[in-house]
Amino acid sequence: MIIIHPYAKALINGKQNPKNYAYWKELIYLIDKSIHIVQIGVDGEEQLVDDFRMNLPIIELRQLIKDCRTWISVDSFFQHLAWSEGKPGIVLWSVSDPLIFGHPENTNLLKSRDNLTPNQFLWWDFTEHNPDYFLKPEEVIKFI
Amino acid sequence: MNKVLCSVATRGRYFTTLPLVLQAIINQTTLPDKLVIFDDNDEPKDMRNEMIYQYFFQMLDIKGVKWEWLFAEKKGQHHIHQQANRMGYDWVWRCDDDCIPEPNVLQNLKSYATEIDNVGAVGGAILTPPNLFDTSNVTGKINNICSEPNIQWNHIEKIKEVDHLHCSFLYRAGVHDYNLGLSRVAHREETLFTYGLYQNGYKILAAPHAESLHMKNPEGGIRSETRKEMYEHDEAIFNNIVGLSDRTIVVLNCGLGDHIVFNSILSDIPNPVVFGCYPDVIPCRSIAEAQALFGNIDQYNIYGKMDQWKWTGSLQDAFRKLYL
Repeated sequence: MIIIHPYAKALINGKQNPKNYAYWKELIYLIDKSIHIVQIGVDGEEQLVDDFRMNLPIIELRQLIKDCRTWISVDSFFQHLAWSEGKPGIVLWSVSDPLIFGHPENTNLLKSRDNLTPNQFLWWDFTEHNPDYFLKPEEVIKFI
Repeated sequence: MNKVLCSVATRGRYFTTLPLVLQAIINQTTLPDKLVIFDDNDEPKDMRNEMIYQYFFQMLDIKGVKWEWLFAEKKGQHHIHQQANRMGYDWVWRCDDDCIPEPNVLQNLKSYATEIDNVGAVGGAILTPPNLFDTSNVTGKINNICSEPNIQWNHIEKIKEVDHLHCSFLYRAGVHDYNLGLSRVAHREETLFTYGLYQNGYKILAAPHAESLHMKNPEGGIRSETRKEMYEHDEAIFNNIVGLSDRTIVVLNCGLGDHIVFNSILSDIPNPVVFGCYPDVIPCRSIAEAQALFGNIDQYNIYGKMDQWKWTGSLQDAFRKLYL
């Protein structure tokens, strides 16, 4: 079983969070069909796989992380939670800086540092979502 | 020693003690790189039209001291000092508008700050004629603040490490914030500020040969508010902070992921008391309680701090810098 955490926290202004990976459906399509994928998230997020577990408490998320083979996430709380459980995974980066917000124990996939938002410490509401800032699924799948 | 900003907050003293203070600053044997006057008057005037002030500005120009006259926001001098604190200078020498420094004050304060390691703030005697208190047994400890006079209230014979200073002193800028939760009277603002520097691991020094004369003027003044509840509000914040002097106050007004990362360094923090948003990650008291106890919690904003520090390291190390 692998876990996916596709969406970072919703923005107050209603726009798409610029940290949300743009090609989840394509990436999921490329993952070996024999692998069970569990999506975690909250109410209102798009369901991408059959097994979508919403609004899990932290204690259940920790157990799920212990049980998984690995995980794939955007830059969100989940990468920190999995890191705290000692379970390495893949983080799909775009505009936030993995050197600041990431953990070297993970596989941090950043297309280019040129795409990083100049000020990393403001609300993400001020940064536009840009699909071109992410690695394409064909490249990501090589790391899974 | 790097750049020094001299900051003067003034209210209601255009033609009483403020000119004396400005003259004394201009006559320092070591001059600041810049003088900023924060005008917090209820009805501010353009002092460039006053001859005596024209003379001051001309003298500053001749001596090569940059100067600026800023109109403050009328929120109290803690807001003014915080503005000075963040103006990009390495040190700030804050002078009250009724406290007249002897000509050698800045020179000697700078030398202490330069020659002694890890100084956060250094201040000399603040003498208020005709009162001279017996300070021979003063400890300068924060917990004794209500039971002993301030060490600055008499001549200081030798350098002494203390927990806090008041009134006028030279401090390392940009490493600790003023508590902006205090009322406009900003009661104990400088005590809280210097004590915060002390808690951050810097030395706070009471130093000899740097004396100022505090001409307590009953008219005007940056604290010229009479509302008792403002003093009570500020005193409560002061007591809440000092009451936790043996604890490391941690305020996590940030996201879930930030709490998780902070949790990894929690065991390194001495005797922490944590206020946060996610008790299922870290046992904590609420952010609302922190706000009520401490007045303002901006100084604990990890994102604000990383922005201020132009941070390029990890979030975990930023928390270490803030709390260890």
